[in-house]
Amino acid sequence: MEAALKAIAAPHRRQILSLVRDGELSAGEIATHFDVTRPAVSQHLTVLKEAGLVDERRNGTRRLYRARPEGLDPIREFLEQFWDERLEALKREAELEERKKDGSEH
Amino acid sequence: MEASTETAVRREIAIAARPETVWEFLVQPEKATRWMGKAASLDPRPGGEYRVEVISGNVALGEFVEVDPPHRLVWTWGWTDESQSPVPVGSTRIEVELEPDGDGGTLLRFTHSGLPDADATAKHAHGWDHYLERLGIAARGDDPGRDTWLDQMT
Repeated sequence: MEAALKAIAAPHRRQILSLVRDGELSAGEIATHFDVTRPAVSQHLTVLKEAGLVDERRNGTRRLYRARPEGLDPIREFLEQFWDERLEALKREAELEERKKDGSEH
Repeated sequence: MEASTETAVRREIAIAARPETVWEFLVQPEKATRWMGKAASLDPRPGGEYRVEVISGNVALGEFVEVDPPHRLVWTWGWTDESQSPVPVGSTRIEVELEPDGDGGTLLRFTHSGLPDADATAKHAHGWDHYLERLGIAARGDDPGRDTWLDQMT
């Protein structure tokens, strides 16, 4: 989760991710889409790879990269946490209200 | 959308309050904001608007679909900041079912379905950080101590 969040915090890495979403590209091909150096692209790819957001495949001397959809599970986990906390708050407030109602009835 | 790619959050919680009481917290703005959001405008009838400002400037917007007090409430849900959010208005659906537990309490079943699957999320990759950050602030809500991951983003 942490690594994925850090990985997507950089605009260039998000752009790279979009580029390799539908197909494999080499670092060189990716670099042609940006105004950044090839080494910089390689560095971004390393971060994305370590975060589990892209897969790397060797094809002869080339290395090809593709987005790894399951690396995005954190967003679902995040929403689960979001709703868990909100539903806990709902429970707390509804129970408080119920006790108030009980109190006024007796 | 194929079932295998459906992303949903499902939860069941027991609440020591009658369904009628829990219902008030779903549809009455002054009570709804006690568990979620800073401001709420709710028109609980089919086609009526659901609008909750979760944090300042970040509005969850939708439309009530089914309204059956105090048993079942269905509404659509999304963030108005569509350019940034992978969850656009109307794209997801929340269902809440309230069942009396026979002892003065309620079993609440919650389903948030139609969430972005991995592919859709990748497509909206530019919105992640913004979205997660905003949601993170919202999720902390009145429990700021429980959410630590946000601090780890930097």
